[in-house]
Amino acid sequence: MRTSEILVDHFSVALGESTFTVDDAARAGKTVSSPATLKESGFRLHHVCGAGTTSYDLAYRAVNEIRGALGDIGAVVYATCIPANGNVGEEKKFRDTGDVKHLMNFPASRLQSAFAMERAVVIGLNQQACTGMLGSLRLARMMLTEEPEVGRVLCLTADRFPEGALYEQSYNLVSDGAAACVVSRGPGGFRLLACHGITNGALAVASDDEVVGSYFSYTYRVVQETLAKASLAIGEIDWIVPQNTNIKAWQILARLLKFDFARVAMPTLGDVGHMISGDNIANLKRLMEEKKIRPGERVLLVTAGYGLNWQCAILESAAENG
Amino acid sequence: MNAESKTVLITGGDGYLGSSLAASYLESTDASLILWLRAGGAEEFENKKSALQRRFAGHASRLSYAAGDLLDDEPFRALDPRGIGGIIHAAAVTRFNVDETTARAVNLEGACKLFRFATGCPSLEAFGLLSTVYASGLAPGAIAEAPLDDGHGFSNFYEWSKWASEAALLKHFGDLPWRIFRVATIIADDERGTVRQQNAFHNTLKLLYYGLLSVMPGLPETPLYLLSGEFVSRAIFALMRRPSNRVIYHVCHKREEALPLRDLVDIAFEVFSQSEDFRLRRILKPLYADLGSFELLADGVEKFSGAVVSQAVASVAPFARQLFIDKDLKNTNLTAALGRYPDPELRRLAAETCRRLVESRWKPHGHDAR
Repeated sequence: MRTSEILVDHFSVALGESTFTVDDAARAGKTVSSPATLKESGFRLHHVCGAGTTSYDLAYRAVNEIRGALGDIGAVVYATCIPANGNVGEEKKFRDTGDVKHLMNFPASRLQSAFAMERAVVIGLNQQACTGMLGSLRLARMMLTEEPEVGRVLCLTADRFPEGALYEQSYNLVSDGAAACVVSRGPGGFRLLACHGITNGALAVASDDEVVGSYFSYTYRVVQETLAKASLAIGEIDWIVPQNTNIKAWQILARLLKFDFARVAMPTLGDVGHMISGDNIANLKRLMEEKKIRPGERVLLVTAGYGLNWQCAILESAAENG
Repeated sequence: MNAESKTVLITGGDGYLGSSLAASYLESTDASLILWLRAGGAEEFENKKSALQRRFAGHASRLSYAAGDLLDDEPFRALDPRGIGGIIHAAAVTRFNVDETTARAVNLEGACKLFRFATGCPSLEAFGLLSTVYASGLAPGAIAEAPLDDGHGFSNFYEWSKWASEAALLKHFGDLPWRIFRVATIIADDERGTVRQQNAFHNTLKLLYYGLLSVMPGLPETPLYLLSGEFVSRAIFALMRRPSNRVIYHVCHKREEALPLRDLVDIAFEVFSQSEDFRLRRILKPLYADLGSFELLADGVEKFSGAVVSQAVASVAPFARQLFIDKDLKNTNLTAALGRYPDPELRRLAAETCRRLVESRWKPHGHDAR
């Protein structure tokens, strides 16, 4: 292992505790598309938090799963897709008292305390939508490069949709959930070869049609620019692990990228759904559990989200994983 | 044809080319015209007739109007064949997404009804059939101004129906004084880029401008044969008045003057970028997709997009296959007959057209009242 290497490891996922089928979701009025359309897209189940479960609860469960591997965390990057999930305070208390501290009850701070990560500085990342998790990897990499004393960074994303929300966004069936991982100097896990992102703020309030209209060209671009950063060609990538979205969209993108669609992996599409910003981690974790990724293989993670944002990261399975 | 002293029948007389040709005859000859209009009833006929009467207000004494429908058994029964010296068949369904039944009934069988009527016109000197360069279907390579076969298939039923109407004319009505005009894609009325009638070309540019089409079917180097309506109208008018019959003309530029697809997209984005609205949105140029990728998109787009993108892709799909075909259209007959040749500055025509489209935000310009 080279000393300058940054590695990602210890992946975990926590889902909303109630599981529903596509048909259940449609019957409950939580979807826009027909059940048949969502099923054809690859969705089968989704997961929803109970009334008393917060996004912080999801974050806690995800981190708790890997608490034995946390070590001496020097920073926590806590990403939420929905900015409101970056506050666990009660908005009603603010309205009653006028005291804005109720709007600044940060889950990242609470998490730091709960897991005794006393040395950790916390960073909230809440304006990158579904790409926040990949954004957190990028921040972690920057920190570890610029401030080596940080040592280990806990990256996580946690979201639950508010009561009354539709659970379909941009034609994807959404699940409440959290995902976490640790970025460090290893050993083990995946080398983080490159991170890259594009934001097009002019499309911040894009319609669903504009989101889809820009999806292919910008996703293609963010992949190409990330490959260039890593000095790699698409032929040197073994797996593409995208967010959970319509499978046909990736059949098309794979062809555009000249990449074998059989190596585009969304193994949790059916039983997890679109877990907002955690899809890449859920899919990567599943691939690892199924021992599909061999040492030395390169994995490209890519996600699009509101903002509009596109982010991409390239990982390489370390030999220690063999 | 020396039709100055005879009557010229123009079908589709209120259509884009039909009415432009009528204007040419009215301005440059003394011929009387019968404008045959498709109308489902008296009210529709009156509305269309009134619009044309306003447009051709100075020529009322030379104009008469007839109504019918190519789906009728005898759509030209009301016309007196005597005295008709020229016929231009401009009526057709020109949508790329026309269904087979309609294309057959209107463009093929409807044309045959006119061919039969023409055989009964004792003074007929010239019969012009408006066709398309895409009657050559998916045939690549050199396309001569000669009868076509259907061996390579077609991109849509519009193309097929125009090929079939040509074939029917040549096979069953070959004794008519025919001439066939295979017209390329008209993108503007004139070199200023004025657009009175929009088609799939303009719709595709609109989708690109609004960022709704990030995948373009086709090869970047595929040549596009583009023209102004003004040139097409002038060329057909001139060719109709020539004495030679039974000639096929490709009303288009040569391959070396055609605009590669890549260049058109580059020109469009360069013009679009002069609009702050477009520039701010940072719309990327589309990715060139192979046919399989685009067909996957066309097949599944309604599953992961809204109505606008679905309709956008559906509007491009019927001619997508043509954007992979490198045609070398020959125009020897055209250039020999016309002597002079249109300004081949397609880049300027494309740029001006894009500019006018952006200015108008794709609202068509009104009729030119000349």
